[in-house]
Amino acid sequence: MTNFFWPIDGSIIGLYLLATMIAGIMVRKYVGKVEHFLVAGREMNVYLGIASLAATEFGIVTCMYTAQNGYRYGFSGATPGLLQALAMFLVGMTGFCIKPLRDSGVLTIPELFEKKFGPKIRWAAGVVIVLGGLLNMGVFLRTGGEFLVQVTGLNIKYLEITMTALLLMVAIYTILGGMLSVLVTDFLQFVVMSLGLLTVTLLILAKVGLGTIIRAVESHYGAGGFNPFVNPEMGWQFVLFNAFLNLAAVLTWQTTIVRVLSAKDTKTGLRVYNGTAFFFVCRFLIPGIWGMAALATLTAAQIGPNTLHAMPILLRSVVPAGMMGLLVAAMLAADMSTDSSYMITWGGVIYNDIMAPFRKTRWSEKKGLLWNRMIIALIGVFLLFYGLWYPLKGDLWTYLGVTGTIYLSSMSVLLIACSYWKRANSWGAAAAIIFGALIPVSFLVLEQIQATAGLAKKIGPYYSGIATYLIVGLAMVIGSLLKPKPGRLVTEGGSRV
Amino acid sequence: MFSHAFWIVITAAVILWYSTITVYVAIRGIKDIKGMLIRLGKQRDAKKTG
Repeated sequence: MTNFFWPIDGSIIGLYLLATMIAGIMVRKYVGKVEHFLVAGREMNVYLGIASLAATEFGIVTCMYTAQNGYRYGFSGATPGLLQALAMFLVGMTGFCIKPLRDSGVLTIPELFEKKFGPKIRWAAGVVIVLGGLLNMGVFLRTGGEFLVQVTGLNIKYLEITMTALLLMVAIYTILGGMLSVLVTDFLQFVVMSLGLLTVTLLILAKVGLGTIIRAVESHYGAGGFNPFVNPEMGWQFVLFNAFLNLAAVLTWQTTIVRVLSAKDTKTGLRVYNGTAFFFVCRFLIPGIWGMAALATLTAAQIGPNTLHAMPILLRSVVPAGMMGLLVAAMLAADMSTDSSYMITWGGVIYNDIMAPFRKTRWSEKKGLLWNRMIIALIGVFLLFYGLWYPLKGDLWTYLGVTGTIYLSSMSVLLIACSYWKRANSWGAAAAIIFGALIPVSFLVLEQIQATAGLAKKIGPYYSGIATYLIVGLAMVIGSLLKPKPGRLVTEGGSRV
Repeated sequence: MFSHAFWIVITAAVILWYSTITVYVAIRGIKDIKGMLIRLGKQRDAKKTG
């Protein structure tokens, strides 16, 4: 039974959607160049950047898995949020990698790689970024739809059509206004999303109580519910893997990096990082509290076999009519901002880097804009068929982990080497990209084959993840050292020229 | 217990920080959007005139 009341809650949602569409479409007249479309003409200031980054990095899928973390691991489940906030703050304070990236004036990370490693590495990096990002995003739409079905009591037969309509709305304003529309709608979505998240959290804390939540975590998980190092399912390997993963995400995740590249200058980009850092704790802890509240109040029989549904089941019984409209509007805001940003930022890499070899002569701005718009439309079609109409087989988390690590491990190593190691070269970069893809995929294959499944389980995703980052780093070093230095040719007599 | 106290403080900080930053960013963000659109509008007008 849900408290969703169509006349009141439906009106709130309708009003929010209307305001978003108007705001998104209105700014299209300011788009005259590809730079306006992809990085908002580099005119983004600090607070708009904070709102946009925060809104983008919180989607329904984020809410679902962070709430599940809270349900399964207690407060320890919010550890990745603390690590990401720390990484974001350190990078924002020091400008590590992102300062040279923004100073270079490029539109994308692979464009920077071309300066150091050549056009082939730029193209390969573009392919890895797009594959990792789009496959990752492929599951967002269905997960978001499942949340809405659980919370609003919407008939599941309308899931596909509802999410298709939502994606269509996002695609329309993103295609017309590019990054400018994304920034302006992100701002609106940040405000709606934050109001919803805060209101529902205060409601849950008032109804369930922080004391009850803490006692429930203590009784279910003991000290492991508060300290990841003593949690039998986590341990130091979980913390170290997440430290690597989150640092890599802060340095290279396309939606995050585009905020630095869209900033009006490097200092603004760094301030956006510092200003958003603590949001990543909120991102994990707020839904985590919802998940822990479900642990405290619901029985296993009420939740069923899938712990991912614990939080929406709690919400539909706790949140009253009227506030339910705000919650759903907040979640739609979260999802729309994520979808629009993913479409524009990954579309930007396809245009700027993967299509680079096909632009032998300089294209007109009009032609460039047309191509960018077509790419976003195609990404929308891909998401629709892959993410919504095509049912995903297998485990969601393995899928997200593998697609994420393929991209993050190699791109972060390439960016660090490109920014700070003079000797780094194309051999090292190619080796890093190959190993970055090979290890996570091999782990996935080991997991799927019956004869090796036991071995894969013994290794576990955390050791495998840590090994990926270390081996990719090593591949970059060894590959770079193996390539002869230019200008150090050896003559037949043995003397160097 | 230290770990309990740690998470109680973090939870309080999250609620307080997020409430404050939402209001602050909501106000300052509108100024940022206005400024950004004014600058882009000027660029567009300059391109049209010359």
